[in-house]
Amino acid sequence: MRRLLLLVLSWAVAGSPAHAEASLDWTAEEVRAVAAHGPWPPAPVRDASNRVWGGTAAIVLGRHLFEEPRLSSSRRVACGDCHQAGRDWRDGRARGLGVVELDRRTPSLWNVGYQHWFGWDGASGSLWMQSLRPLLDPREMASSAPAVATLLREEAELACGYERAFGERPGADNEKVLVDAAKALAAFQQTLVTPRTPFDDFRDALVAGDRTAAPSYPAAAQRGLKLFVGRGNCATCHFGPLFTNGEFGDTGISFFVRPGEVDSGRHGGIARLKDSPFNRLGPHSDDGSGAAGTRTRHVEAQHRNFGEFRVPGLRQVGRTGPYMHDGSLATLGDVAKHYSTVSPDRLHSDGVPLVRPLGLTADESADLVAFLRTLDAEAPPLPPPPPLCP
Amino acid sequence: MRTWLALLSVLISTPVLAECPLDLGHGTGIVVFSDLYMLALRPDPLRIEVGQPFALIMNVCTKGGDPAELVGVDATMPEHRHGMNYAPTLQANGEGRYRVEGMLFHMPGNWEIAFDVRSGGEIQRLTHDFVVK
Repeated sequence: MRRLLLLVLSWAVAGSPAHAEASLDWTAEEVRAVAAHGPWPPAPVRDASNRVWGGTAAIVLGRHLFEEPRLSSSRRVACGDCHQAGRDWRDGRARGLGVVELDRRTPSLWNVGYQHWFGWDGASGSLWMQSLRPLLDPREMASSAPAVATLLREEAELACGYERAFGERPGADNEKVLVDAAKALAAFQQTLVTPRTPFDDFRDALVAGDRTAAPSYPAAAQRGLKLFVGRGNCATCHFGPLFTNGEFGDTGISFFVRPGEVDSGRHGGIARLKDSPFNRLGPHSDDGSGAAGTRTRHVEAQHRNFGEFRVPGLRQVGRTGPYMHDGSLATLGDVAKHYSTVSPDRLHSDGVPLVRPLGLTADESADLVAFLRTLDAEAPPLPPPPPLCP
Repeated sequence: MRTWLALLSVLISTPVLAECPLDLGHGTGIVVFSDLYMLALRPDPLRIEVGQPFALIMNVCTKGGDPAELVGVDATMPEHRHGMNYAPTLQANGEGRYRVEGMLFHMPGNWEIAFDVRSGGEIQRLTHDFVVK
């Protein structure tokens, strides 16, 4: 604590006058709050339910499967058609487009390997379970276990890649081969980690009391960051290095997907999770200890989950609009306006509400957006995948 | 010397220390009292992180040193008046010893854990506050 105070004091009083405008004063409490958003990147989170997690051959197989349109019933739709590498692993549309237009936005896959719940409603408790959903959803790739397993058994390159990843040829059990394909897809997606950002450099400098790094971080972004961890109350849900607590919230966006039809969000997601044979408590989990199923075992649907959606991470947020689960807000400015004017009547809360109208001025909104844009970084293009069986 | 003798007499005259130990190991147990009960608890892992599951290792005793029954555990954020997104489960290990699985604080701030305890009669609720950052 004493050390932290000294760092804060040194931050406030040291440095040349030329830097004074760029270096705001930061209280110990603010420094602690900012520090919680790093360091970046965190250590990889191993998924014990996926026996090929981190395996090189599985990552290569997953990369090939990710761009494989023959996984779909039409043989024309691949995972990578919606989660596009050149578009930060999303499609840029307000609502996803499969065989038909969907009700929710295609989320970016950046940092997806650090998540605990997947999909806007968290209906999947593992990345491999989530990878099964679009494969089997009749509105998206509309495939089936026999179709996927047949492809992996009969297409020589894929069969060879499967054998390298899993140590055996694809067997006769269609469901097992389908799940293994999803586990390879997950192994690939877990490699999608965003680069360090200007915020990370500033955060590390702030925590270390290093003033020399401050001038490169814009004053507007610093003011926005103070709002983010302070009066804006954003960091309560957008917590930690990923800028998400990994859970769900109601942000005042309409439940209605069309007149007379609502999206129940997390409430329905928990029901689907519990009912699925592919959850972490089911026979396809590779975790012998049962520890990987803790969240799935204990999560409990509550009335307030109705209309809650996953709190998205904010890294690359400036590059991955439109925003909210239904893509209803086009720009970060629109998001700032939404949280500035959201109706408290729409957000039922018995206590101090987590989301409440912030009443931001135009300058404050611009500062908040300036901060959010410092969470962006240009990622190097992914090199072409190595051949499955050279 | 007189102090040591006084301390020794307290230890000898307090059966709860033998029957229902409040030290859960690592010297880190938190003790919660009411007029009827004493609870000792220790989070596992020791440091509670926002968004990470943890368990509670507990000894639940009457003030007289007998094992008591842990009926339920829940946690809320009093400021926001919401609870956890997870329902913890209790594993009874005999003699007032319990392991509570499935705890998760999904937001930073003040959390109040409520322990419902009984020993034959009515249930009494004891609480303890945690601040997670």
